[in-house]
Amino acid sequence: MKRDEIPPGTLYLLILKTLSLHEQLHGYEMADSIQQSSDNILQVEEGSLYPALQRMLIKGWVTAEWGVTSGNRRARYYRLSPAGRKQLTVELSQFQRVFGAISRVIQTA
Amino acid sequence: MFFDEALRRLKMLFQGRKFQNDLDEEMQLHLELRQQKHLEAGLSPAAARRAAYRHFGNVASIKETSYKTWGWSWLESFLQDLRYGIRSMFRSPALTLVALLSLALGIGANTAIFSFLDALMLRSLPVNDPAQLVVLGGEEGEAGMTDRYGSTTLYSYPFYRQLQQKNAVFSDVSAILSFSNNVHGTVDGRDEMVQMGVQLVSGSYFPTLGVQPAIGRALTEDDDNSEGDHPVAVISYAWWKRDLAGDPAVLNRKIKLGTTMFNIVGVAPPEFFGTKVGEAPDIWVPMSMMKSVPPGLNGYKDNFYQAMFIMGRLKPGVSLEQATSNVNLLYQQIIRAFPDGNLSPRNTADLSKAHVALKPMATGLSSLRRTFSEPLKILMGVTALVLLIACANIANLLLARSTARARELAVRQALGARRIRIVRQLLTESLLLALVGGLLGVGLAAFADRLLLRMISGGPEMLPLDVSINTRLLLFTFAVTVATAVLFGIVPALRGTRVELTDALKDGRGPSSGTARSPLGKALIVAQVAISLVLMVGAILFVRSLVNLNNVDTGFNREGVLRLQIDSNVTGLKSSDPRMIAMFQEIEQRVSALPGVKAASFASFLFNQGSWNTGIRVAGMNLDQNINIKHNVIGNGYFATMQIPLLAGRTFNTQDTSTSRHVAIISERMAKDLFPPGINPIGHHYYTGFDPIPDTDVEVIGIVKDVKFGSLQEKPQYIDYIPNPHHPWGYGILAVRYEGNFNTVSNAVQQTIHSVDRTLPISRVTTLDEQVSRTLTNQRLVAQLSAFFGVLAVFLSCIGIYGLMSYMVGRRTNEIGIRIAIGATRANVRWLVMREIVLLVAIGVAVGIPITLAGSRAVTNMLFGLRGTDTASLLGSVVALMLVAIMAGYLPARRAAQVDPMVALRYE
Repeated sequence: MKRDEIPPGTLYLLILKTLSLHEQLHGYEMADSIQQSSDNILQVEEGSLYPALQRMLIKGWVTAEWGVTSGNRRARYYRLSPAGRKQLTVELSQFQRVFGAISRVIQTA
Repeated sequence: MFFDEALRRLKMLFQGRKFQNDLDEEMQLHLELRQQKHLEAGLSPAAARRAAYRHFGNVASIKETSYKTWGWSWLESFLQDLRYGIRSMFRSPALTLVALLSLALGIGANTAIFSFLDALMLRSLPVNDPAQLVVLGGEEGEAGMTDRYGSTTLYSYPFYRQLQQKNAVFSDVSAILSFSNNVHGTVDGRDEMVQMGVQLVSGSYFPTLGVQPAIGRALTEDDDNSEGDHPVAVISYAWWKRDLAGDPAVLNRKIKLGTTMFNIVGVAPPEFFGTKVGEAPDIWVPMSMMKSVPPGLNGYKDNFYQAMFIMGRLKPGVSLEQATSNVNLLYQQIIRAFPDGNLSPRNTADLSKAHVALKPMATGLSSLRRTFSEPLKILMGVTALVLLIACANIANLLLARSTARARELAVRQALGARRIRIVRQLLTESLLLALVGGLLGVGLAAFADRLLLRMISGGPEMLPLDVSINTRLLLFTFAVTVATAVLFGIVPALRGTRVELTDALKDGRGPSSGTARSPLGKALIVAQVAISLVLMVGAILFVRSLVNLNNVDTGFNREGVLRLQIDSNVTGLKSSDPRMIAMFQEIEQRVSALPGVKAASFASFLFNQGSWNTGIRVAGMNLDQNINIKHNVIGNGYFATMQIPLLAGRTFNTQDTSTSRHVAIISERMAKDLFPPGINPIGHHYYTGFDPIPDTDVEVIGIVKDVKFGSLQEKPQYIDYIPNPHHPWGYGILAVRYEGNFNTVSNAVQQTIHSVDRTLPISRVTTLDEQVSRTLTNQRLVAQLSAFFGVLAVFLSCIGIYGLMSYMVGRRTNEIGIRIAIGATRANVRWLVMREIVLLVAIGVAVGIPITLAGSRAVTNMLFGLRGTDTASLLGSVVALMLVAIMAGYLPARRAAQVDPMVALRYE
């Protein structure tokens, strides 16, 4: 099955959105969730989640805490912070603006 | 927001280890979960693992990216460089030691000199908004008293009052007596007298400065509104701590000055030392009490007792120009309106010419500044040059080393290190070196500061000058340190990284690279030699100037004279009181009779102690009214004590009493210039003062040889001597000519004085020679320090030459080996190396000579008895420099000549 790379710059949006739908997720769950909700079309190079998460930790969009998985393994769980929620709307509207513009260009062609 | 982020980044920095572990663990979990999923999907374990890793990406690079996200990677590579730098410092300990030592000396010297420049010239007074303060007439004005019309630096108290009322440009105005009084007083009716510096100030002084007292209250206008009935004093914090042991009940204590009890009403804040840098009064007393503070000046109501400095605080928005024009307008109005003014044509002319300049006084007033600003600037230049030499030296050493390290650097570059990374590495090493050197330098400066302060003070009492290490100083030092690091580090770093990789890897010991890299090193040596020449000539000029000054004929014999100071004010008698006159005479007689004492006499001035001068009128001469005669009131034994030869007539004796005819002895120069030619001045009369008032008529009874009066540099002065009974002087200074042990005589003299009056405080017991040489403090400071730095500069340059030559000989070993193998003699080889050194030094000297000439012209006015373009000094320096430099080069040359050709060639 052919999978598509995600458009550059949307990784934060995807993470923020995904987190907003769950109370907390660890990295693997996040990657899985993104893949599944895109019907397996979007392919995140899974490792690249981690630098992105670090960046989001610095910015204060997410908070991290160690917890235990259902399989009884230690895992770092990420949660959306209020700042992250705000950031999500910012990124969303930005994405929609750009996406909308691109669609318009394509349609007129 | 930004702050939170910074905090998070910082927190991460201190959890570096945990960060890595956390990241490892969560990524590991991710991979395992993914692998398990693939297994469940039916892949083989190996394939599952591969797939998991493929989807994940490059683990190591992701870890690095994650880490870099936090923005600390620069710090890590810096620490790495630092560790590497420390290791490489220890790898060449000799180089490190030389570099550190020269840096410490260079930076230390700069810091020390700068701390004095800072204290004297840059630091603002610790008062409220110092930038708004101005002083009338600036500080060209000497402290003192004058009744001259048109004085624009010294003013009378009534003038200050009028200016205060009438001006439209100052929010506050205050007056400060231009000199402080050294008074012996008692605290709380105790017995022993304590010496204290008393500064008279107007009541507006503290309010103008905006200084709040540490305890009690400051002086106010109310303390200064009527004469004689405000016996209050504010004491300095230091004096409170020292002489009152920081007594918390200080406000209940009293100080007795003269016959008046003063109540202590406040203690000034610790940082406040008054408004004169280098003079810290112990006590401030309101001007209204002027007459009660010994010596009891009478200037509170005298319109022409001009002895005050006046300072003002500009109103907000008033420019210096506006203030100046307002003050000058008032100046003319106020002085011309004084009812007792003498508006003679001369005085009116002097007044009209007068222009009051307003000078900012944010940094305070200072006579020290006048004396030392030029020497300090010169010394600052000198130390900067020394530091430059040190930099050139280290640059040269590093250059040599970086070539020696060419292989190491080439290997690193070949392995993929970017050039900028290596340059940064090398610069870090330089910075490390500079910082350690700078740190040592600061330590050295703290020590040098004390030494310098002692030198500047020129005597046992230290000047109250705060030269401790402060923030501004540390910033200065840090800036200098970083600048030096860049200066000596950048060239070798760039140089060292610009390598032809293949050449360097092939060991780079070929003959070609031996000379290829030298031009830069040689240029540095040339610069060092040139700068050394400048410093050496400077040092020689200053030292010779000092020697010349010390050899000046003073006219009196400065050896073998003890001098001391008494405070006759404590007797409470007026100087014209017959008992006072008798007391001085009794002391003179009893001291003269002591064993070991040949003569003794009081004098109003010995040497460099100010002056009392007026014009004179001589019958038959039309003298310029601006000719000033310095008057010296003396005891009968004065000429014997000072061994000033009498050229004609007689000296004073017991017949010269208060009732006898008024007589004077005049100096040789005065006799020659101011008396009618062809007439013997002896027996001739003149008036002391320009106007022919009968009271001031004196008859010349003797002529003595010219002496130096104010300074060693001065031209012969017009001086007359007056016997004490004719113009009674409240003496302070006693001169005693003695033989034998100074301490024995000194004790005997002091006992004798106390046997006449046991309350007389005695201070500043020293020799006349010491007093004379103390006037050369300034010149001595410059001479000693420039000599020290000159030697240091030459020494550093020699190390530079030695280092470069050793290095070059090392590089050329096999070339030399070949030369010897094919028949060159040892002398040939020696000359081969020496030729290079001689050439470099010669070029350096050639470059240095014009700079030296320009530089020494600039200091001509600080020299005595020789011109800046002194050929002997220049030639001497050139020869000395040549000799020393060649000596430094000789060792490597000899080593070169001893190369064994077999060893040299086999090495290849």
